[in-house]
Amino acid sequence: MRIDWWTLGLQTVNVLILVAILARFLFRPVIAIMEERRAAAEKILADAEAERAAAVAAGAAAQSERERIEASRGAVLARAAEEAAALREAALASAKEDADQVRAAAETETRWARAAEEAAASERSARLAVDVAGKLMQRLPASAQVDGFIDGLAGALASLPEASRDGFGAPDRPTLTAPRPLTAAEIQSARDAFARALGRPVDLAVAVDPSLIAGLELETPHAVARNSFRADLKRIVEELTGHAGDHR
Amino acid sequence: MKSPLSLEPLFLLGPVGITEPVVVSWAIILLLGLGSALATRRLRLVPSKGQALLELVVATIDDQIRGTMQTDPAPFRALIGSIFLFTLASNWSSLIPGVEPATAHIETDAAMALIVFVATVAWGIRVRGLGGYLATFAEPTWVMIPLNIVEQFTRTFSLIIRLFGNVMSGVFIIGIILTLAGLLVPIPLMALDLLTGAVQAYIFAVLATVFIGAAVGERRKAGASSEPAP
Repeated sequence: MRIDWWTLGLQTVNVLILVAILARFLFRPVIAIMEERRAAAEKILADAEAERAAAVAAGAAAQSERERIEASRGAVLARAAEEAAALREAALASAKEDADQVRAAAETETRWARAAEEAAASERSARLAVDVAGKLMQRLPASAQVDGFIDGLAGALASLPEASRDGFGAPDRPTLTAPRPLTAAEIQSARDAFARALGRPVDLAVAVDPSLIAGLELETPHAVARNSFRADLKRIVEELTGHAGDHR
Repeated sequence: MKSPLSLEPLFLLGPVGITEPVVVSWAIILLLGLGSALATRRLRLVPSKGQALLELVVATIDDQIRGTMQTDPAPFRALIGSIFLFTLASNWSSLIPGVEPATAHIETDAAMALIVFVATVAWGIRVRGLGGYLATFAEPTWVMIPLNIVEQFTRTFSLIIRLFGNVMSGVFIIGIILTLAGLLVPIPLMALDLLTGAVQAYIFAVLATVFIGAAVGERRKAGASSEPAP
């Protein structure tokens, strides 16, 4: 066995040439495409990661936006509640004021109504009393309706001031009103009593008014002197109704 | 039958006699070079079946280098991968009638082993520096320096003899069988020769990786100092 050195040298060169050829035409392009694929895969993964991060960021932004909306909604609701409370308070105050006014008006009206009712009741009572008195007086003798009142009326005339007394007599003829037709003696008695009270003779016109119940009234166009149950009862009624009004 | 140990020039190029292993090597270079150029002409991100096979081969070579050297396979890929593919193609060329594998001649194996030896020294000096590389001969102690120096040559020699012996013996046995029973009988042996050729190509490439890795990187005693049995 011997070694062919030319063959050894040529084979060495051949192997080196093959190394260069395969490095250029096999390994380099295959590795390049594998690296390219790996880079593409990494890019896809990076893009996916970026998209995931973007999605997460978008989710966080949406969450913060939702929280902000929730917060603003809460503020709006609180403000609306405050405004509603203020409106409610204002409405309540207005309603209370209206109610107070209505109640005051109602109370005033009630007082007026009560006063009117009490006045009506007093008037009815007075009239009832007058009616009762009149009916009672009707049971008295007819002379009692006039006799005792002539002197009283003359006394009343006498107690009048001078100027008032001058109003009775000329030129106007005084009218003597009685609850029943007077007798001639009664008319003469009255004329005499009035002449004494006035200090001059008096010409009387006689009139009948049963509403006087009892008593007499002497009347001229300028002066009136009354001494009758009707006048007394009327005064009593006025005093009673005025007294009732004072109690309101 | 001629002896596989003898070489006769097929023709002469001036003073240089061109022997059969050289011609076979040229054919393999032509085949692998043209095949690679055609196969890698239209590579795409979505690979075809052929591209997937190419990528599988390259990725497997890378994985072997990375697993053995624990480093980036890129600087060593072309050398280790080319030696593996050339050895495999050469071993399997025996299936072609009338073709004798280039690796069945010791010159071819010696050429590849010589390249591995030079690459080991060159990368060792390049990575560690001259002093650092020489210092590796004194590991684990200076007493080992002679043995480590001898080991550099013996392991290269064993690399040559292992490949040469296996391939040559396969060719020799098949040649003997063919002279005795030429029909069908050699087929099982040829199949075995396929297996042996693949295994020997793998072993040669892995040992080259181990030697270079031991020179450039951390010493991995199990891989660097022990060799698989032939």
